[in-house]
Amino acid sequence: MSKDPALVLKDIHKTFGDHEVLKGISLEAHDGDVISILGSSGSGKSTFLRCINLLENPTKGEIQFNGEALQLKQGEHDLIAADMKQLTRLRQKIGFVFQNFNLWPHMTILQNVMEGPLHVLNRPKKEVQEYAEYLLNKVGIADKKHMYPNQLSGGQQQRVAIARTLAMDPQILLFDEPTSALDPELVGEVLGVMRGLADEGRTMLIVTHEMSFAREVSSEVVFLHQGLVEEQGTPEKVFGSPDSERCKAFLSTVF
Amino acid sequence: MELDFSVVIEYLPRLLSGTWMTIKLVLLSIVLGAIVALPLALARISKNPLISGLPFAYIFFFRGTPLLVQIFLVYYGASQFEVVRESFMWPVLREPFWCAIIAFTLNTSAYTAEIFRGAIQAIPEGEVEACKVIGMTKTQMYRRILLPRAFGIVLPAYGNEIILMLKASALASTITLLDLTGMARTIIARTYTPIEIFLAAGAIYLLISMVVIYIFRLVEKRQNRYLGTQSIKVPDKG
Repeated sequence: MSKDPALVLKDIHKTFGDHEVLKGISLEAHDGDVISILGSSGSGKSTFLRCINLLENPTKGEIQFNGEALQLKQGEHDLIAADMKQLTRLRQKIGFVFQNFNLWPHMTILQNVMEGPLHVLNRPKKEVQEYAEYLLNKVGIADKKHMYPNQLSGGQQQRVAIARTLAMDPQILLFDEPTSALDPELVGEVLGVMRGLADEGRTMLIVTHEMSFAREVSSEVVFLHQGLVEEQGTPEKVFGSPDSERCKAFLSTVF
Repeated sequence: MELDFSVVIEYLPRLLSGTWMTIKLVLLSIVLGAIVALPLALARISKNPLISGLPFAYIFFFRGTPLLVQIFLVYYGASQFEVVRESFMWPVLREPFWCAIIAFTLNTSAYTAEIFRGAIQAIPEGEVEACKVIGMTKTQMYRRILLPRAFGIVLPAYGNEIILMLKASALASTITLLDLTGMARTIIARTYTPIEIFLAAGAIYLLISMVVIYIFRLVEKRQNRYLGTQSIKVPDKG
């Protein structure tokens, strides 16, 4: 039995006003893939990631999860969800980690992690709490569970955000520049957690500027330039001998 | 002239009964006003002009006209219509107390709706997105995250609105209600001691304001305790 890819994106376009940010990007992710999306700022990589779960509405394109097409219809400017129930159901399966963590500041760390499984998935409280504590332990902040997000460092907040995402048992994890808002000395702890997730065989799409990290953990690397895929392949290929001049130039500026 | 405050002591029970009337007026209209304000605020946020249009007009009218005019419209205006006089509402609408409650509720709900709207819109977009990405429905989002979050933001402005309402409640005296101000005027008509009695009434208003401010400070401290150590411990807040 051939299994459908976890995620298929076909010809994704996105226009803001007159500016076409994405000019038709296609990508496939199979279970266990770790795909890093690179590119200079303005290349459209974050927008692309946000189109996957409709945080941003694409103007054109197709999105499929496990062979199930996300129902889209034409809105005023772009494509919007045709079936909100389907969208919320699929979003529960797609974890998303933000650049700015976006924890809910009025809730404790533990409450932040428990919120989704408890009130969206309606799981029993006892089970949810045990799982949340397990996850907080896994990301190394179990001792801070009764504190509020503002009492934590950025690196700690991002690790909580990852635990909050994992609490939903997502099938795919999307990371939108998870370390870009952090002080340099805090980047390592977050990358460490992410490396652990990759080792577990989780399916991940990562928009990042951390080149050596992308090189180590990725099964595939995609380099975007001006809204198009400029270079794509294994990390050895993209970092070692890229075909594209632009990709070469980009890599030479960051290494 | 000589001031004689013994008159205040003598009429204290009457002043206190006026105070009780004032408190009833303010409490009831604040509670009812908040209940009306919440759907107004939510509708006002809607991107659909058909949904946001009505609350906009409502808020525009009640904020743009004097409360006194609104009270008179309800008290003198409603009884002009035979339909109203014959309806089941008449036992309510002929009571000045309920006329005042209706006018106050409508008025304060307009201001409160704007305060609620501002608070909900002040929630950073990222926190809303964090709700979306775990698959919350709109209802879950508001019930679980946005309204509790807005509650903390709303407190200072809302406490202010209650104090404004307290002072505006003095207008109830213009439609024969014996609230604190109405009672003070009645006493003065008998005793000719305006300074003593109005000073006493003013002092009681001040006391109630202080209680309101104190309560709100307590609630705010509790509700917003998560802001506590923010500035000290987080040098790298993204």
